[in-house]
Amino acid sequence: MNRVAITGIGIVSPAGLKKETFWANLKNARSFVDKITRFDASLYPSRIAGQIHEIDKYTHLSQRLIKRIDIFSHMALVASQQAIEDARLDLNSIDKNRVGVFMGNALGGWLFAETELRDMYIEGREGISPYMASAWFPAAPQGQITIYYGFKGYSKTVVADRASSALAIWYGAKVLLEKKNDYILCGGMEAPVTPYALLCANTYGELSKNNSSPKTAYRPYDLYRDGMVIAEGSGVAILEREEDAIKRNIPIYGFIKGVGFSCDGFHYSRSSLNTEALEYAIEKALEDSNFSKDKIDYICLDGVGSIVSDMLEAKAIKNVFGKYLKNISLSAPKSMFGNLLGSQTAIDLIITLLSMQNDLVLPTINYEEKDPYCDIDCTPNKPIQRKIERALIISRGRGGINVVLGIERG
Amino acid sequence: MVSKDEVYSVIAKILDVDKKEIQEDKKLYDSLGVDSTEMVELTIALSKQFSVKLDTKEISKFATPLEIVDLINKKKQQ
Repeated sequence: MNRVAITGIGIVSPAGLKKETFWANLKNARSFVDKITRFDASLYPSRIAGQIHEIDKYTHLSQRLIKRIDIFSHMALVASQQAIEDARLDLNSIDKNRVGVFMGNALGGWLFAETELRDMYIEGREGISPYMASAWFPAAPQGQITIYYGFKGYSKTVVADRASSALAIWYGAKVLLEKKNDYILCGGMEAPVTPYALLCANTYGELSKNNSSPKTAYRPYDLYRDGMVIAEGSGVAILEREEDAIKRNIPIYGFIKGVGFSCDGFHYSRSSLNTEALEYAIEKALEDSNFSKDKIDYICLDGVGSIVSDMLEAKAIKNVFGKYLKNISLSAPKSMFGNLLGSQTAIDLIITLLSMQNDLVLPTINYEEKDPYCDIDCTPNKPIQRKIERALIISRGRGGINVVLGIERG
Repeated sequence: MVSKDEVYSVIAKILDVDKKEIQEDKKLYDSLGVDSTEMVELTIALSKQFSVKLDTKEISKFATPLEIVDLINKKKQQ
């Protein structure tokens, strides 16, 4: 059977703008959450985030292109370039008609849009940039990547709240197995640190208001958790069929083995308190990946950090794995840099692959007090050495979109 | 009358290119890979800078910088 191999990764995150820095920073279990500095956020209930500060130092793009695109496309283009180089893809020899781009995003590119809409209202019709039309919408980064590299294969952008990039990765893998494309760039990008996007995220209601202590604000599973912290960034992975990767003699990080998904079918924004749907998605991912419960080494958790979400996730995991759970390492490394919303699973995939490569489980930081309703071992505060052969990544979107990916070591 | 240099400065600024890269007798599309969206931006910028009413139908990406200078001067004389 063909397996979907991951042969390159690229990352733009608050914890680092390339994989080496990212990994070194996360290994040290530091927090990269801080007060928002891009604009005056003092009146927002939650005004802390994981932010990207130095993208201009790492970019390969011309100023001419940068000014036409939103920062979320910029981040996705930088992550794509890293992934392409990492996978040693020779863009001159591959058939670009068979390269597709599958990205996830939840919010769109508001930094660009907000400024231009303001100018339109102040200056009139001619005050708005002609690039507005192509800069703001969630599929803009996919378009920019395909145009930049001349990729012409079947491509899609998925919008499904925080499960967006999980679905995009699965979609890319499926298209590869159907042999519609030979190479896939998949992942996601999100840029919620803008005045309007931050307002939306605040209205959403699951954000931490622990503004006085940004570094300890995001504390999944801890008794004193009060919500997630948003973050911006992008993660991109290169997928190809295993046989092609072997032919190219390229190192394989890991394989996407399977997926399970479900919807709570309960409410437009809240998750159901009944965890059956999430449990179903986990079971289906195990089945689709051909993983047995006793062979799972690691689960990269959704770790929203809100009272209810963490409780439900813990309950579902316990129900599914029962006695096997004590042998599985669990963690939410996103506690170190924030939740990248529609791009989060792309980052979680990269974390899982690097953890496999380094035989190390990254921790959930800021864990101090056990919550009796959420008593899972989430690898608190310090990484642990462990060989990881098989892992799951749990991703949940607003309103109960459940996606679970099964990953196998390369 | 506007000078070539004044017009080329606006083109260079809007397209983020060095003024030396502007080839006055080559179509903007051929010399600098200008696309239609960039032309909209350029047309608006030139209209504002030189106080003339330019339409995107009058200047396309297939115009040369010299033709643009001529058009602006023609409009200014009207």
